[in-house]
Amino acid sequence: MISSPFNSIVPLSFSSSSSSSGSVMLPNLYDYPRPKRTNFTSRNLAFMPLKCIHKYRFDSSSESDARFPSFSASCLTATDARLTSSDLVADRLRRVVAEFRSLPEPIDRVKRLLHYAALLPPLGDSARAPENRVTGCTTQVWLEAELDELGRVRFRADSDSEISKGFCSCLIYMLDGADPEEVVKVKSEDLADMNVGLHGKSHSRVNTWHNVLIAMQKRTIALLAGSE
Amino acid sequence: MPSTFLQLCCSAMETLAPKLPSFKVLNPSSSSSSSYCSTTRSSSSLRAGLRRPFSLSISASAVREGDPAVGSVSLGHVTRTDFPILHQEVNGSKLVYLDNAATSQKPTAVLKALQNYYEAYNSNVHRGIHFLSSKATDAYELARKKVAAFINASESTEIVFTRNATEAINLVAYSWGMSTLKPEDEVILTIAEHHSAIVPWQLVAQKTGAVLKFVNLDETESPDIEKLRQMISRKTKIVVVHHVSNVLASVLPIEEIVVWAHDVGAKVLVDACQSVPHMAVNVQDLDADFLVASSHKMCGPTGMGFLYGKRELLSAMPPFLGGGEMISDVFLDHSTYAEPPSRFEAGTPAIGEAIGLGAAIDYLSGIGMQKIHEYELELAKYLYENLLSVPNIRIYGPVPSGNTNRAALCSFNVENIHPTDIATFLDQQHGVAIRSGHHCAQPLHRYLGVNASARASLHFYNTKEDVDDFVRALNDTVSFFNSFK
Repeated sequence: MISSPFNSIVPLSFSSSSSSSGSVMLPNLYDYPRPKRTNFTSRNLAFMPLKCIHKYRFDSSSESDARFPSFSASCLTATDARLTSSDLVADRLRRVVAEFRSLPEPIDRVKRLLHYAALLPPLGDSARAPENRVTGCTTQVWLEAELDELGRVRFRADSDSEISKGFCSCLIYMLDGADPEEVVKVKSEDLADMNVGLHGKSHSRVNTWHNVLIAMQKRTIALLAGSE
Repeated sequence: MPSTFLQLCCSAMETLAPKLPSFKVLNPSSSSSSSYCSTTRSSSSLRAGLRRPFSLSISASAVREGDPAVGSVSLGHVTRTDFPILHQEVNGSKLVYLDNAATSQKPTAVLKALQNYYEAYNSNVHRGIHFLSSKATDAYELARKKVAAFINASESTEIVFTRNATEAINLVAYSWGMSTLKPEDEVILTIAEHHSAIVPWQLVAQKTGAVLKFVNLDETESPDIEKLRQMISRKTKIVVVHHVSNVLASVLPIEEIVVWAHDVGAKVLVDACQSVPHMAVNVQDLDADFLVASSHKMCGPTGMGFLYGKRELLSAMPPFLGGGEMISDVFLDHSTYAEPPSRFEAGTPAIGEAIGLGAAIDYLSGIGMQKIHEYELELAKYLYENLLSVPNIRIYGPVPSGNTNRAALCSFNVENIHPTDIATFLDQQHGVAIRSGHHCAQPLHRYLGVNASARASLHFYNTKEDVDDFVRALNDTVSFFNSFK
């Protein structure tokens, strides 16, 4: 496994030994070092090579393999540290939207979500507390939000449904570590293409990612209010 | 010519005359044709006592006097062609619609009736004297008569049209409940009730000081009838129960419950949403005080439902919604009110939709509720048995056995897979439509210890092939999710 230098720009397409219908795979979600280039904590460093290898190893017996490019090549990591937080969020949002848009079959979007679900770090049982419940979802989703020492919002999430976990995973990829203002600015319509299984817009009760996004924004606002 | 005679009898019984001849067919107690499939075999079966050989595969959209059909084509196969919506693909697979407990599909006859109303004689009812208005009024009132005949009410004035069963229950809660219930009066329900049967009573209990008491399930996972009986006391003013559970598929012995309730002077409100569409329901036999159902679950349009209430009860009830139609005279400082049912039908009703419901009743009666019920019993058994083959599945409600029949629906969970994930995959990959969630029965799910369940529910236009497709797809779904772990 080769890992790229942390500070190279991530190409949107990459070579892989087998690829499915030209769809784009997001880089390993948790390997982004944060924008301040002097601030690589040991946690970030540890993430990169090891998690890279770990997360992209698929069971060859899984039927989903045929769809997912198998990574023996470069694990995509860092983004250009010169990007600001707002650029980052917008950039990640574009990638997510582009990725899901590139999957025309609804079932492929489901499968992609399940793939991302598997990448979501598990939360302890203590996180599954009532005050962490995201209301309005037919599945159970728990969300934790806090501000880190740099005033960025950190999110952690869990769900009893794999598809919901997938949504959470994508949302966390986009918004974890962002500035609070950026979190609040995201609009549901921007994510309409993530409507896995829902033909139409966001207004159904079952629209988990919409509810989770709203919850993330509400918690962010509350955190901001609390910190002032 | 005995067969013709019997067919005439059949059509007489099924025809929607304003007053049904109370026709008793000599009926040896064959189990499937006796009662409404309550868990106790009721010997007071009546008009629905058609034996299978005579009810044959009459073409649903045709008239009752067709030739006895031949062959073993199922009712599902015969009627499917009447439902245009079923013949489509979703997400690249043919649609397999198994969410009938949520809402049923509509046959062409109903669609045509609706269209015809709006095209030919749409007009406000009970008011005008011109031709169209008169025609609309007649059709609207005829629909009321059809509903009355369908459930064997004594008079059509005992049928109040509402927006749906939920509104009908609210009507009873606000009109009868608010004027009758006193502090410490008891309202008895089961924990398996639909939210629409629970919440209106919570609201009224808050205002009146009445107390809600709930019956739990027994070891067969149906409401504990013995406990229900014990709970009924002099303090009980009304018992609110479902006839058929939309989650457990269990059937309650309404006739017995009514006897126990009446013994203490309590009323009974029957939520018949999941029974009226699927079996013959006879309010004289049940002796229920109130009964509610929704049109959209019985092949009729949405926006329409009804309350059946005994005449003497409705006459004594104050208005629910105020406005036009329900008044007699209006002065500035007070008004006098109309007799039931108008007293409870404020404003312009859903005229076309009532007529559509009438057409649905015509359609269902043309097949025969007994026939529908027998077929669905078969389907229920087939569904349950085949579902059991899915690994790690847990189906809620009683196990079907000799004298315990289930409705043709199964709520279930598969270990370690969220029901919403199952439903999503079934839809996306296989075009199978089921429901997941709490099915408007959160207290029940809490009692069962789960957050949500998946539910497949059938109607007479489903076939065993639908069940096969579903179970195959479900097995595929389970394998898929297990492979991700």
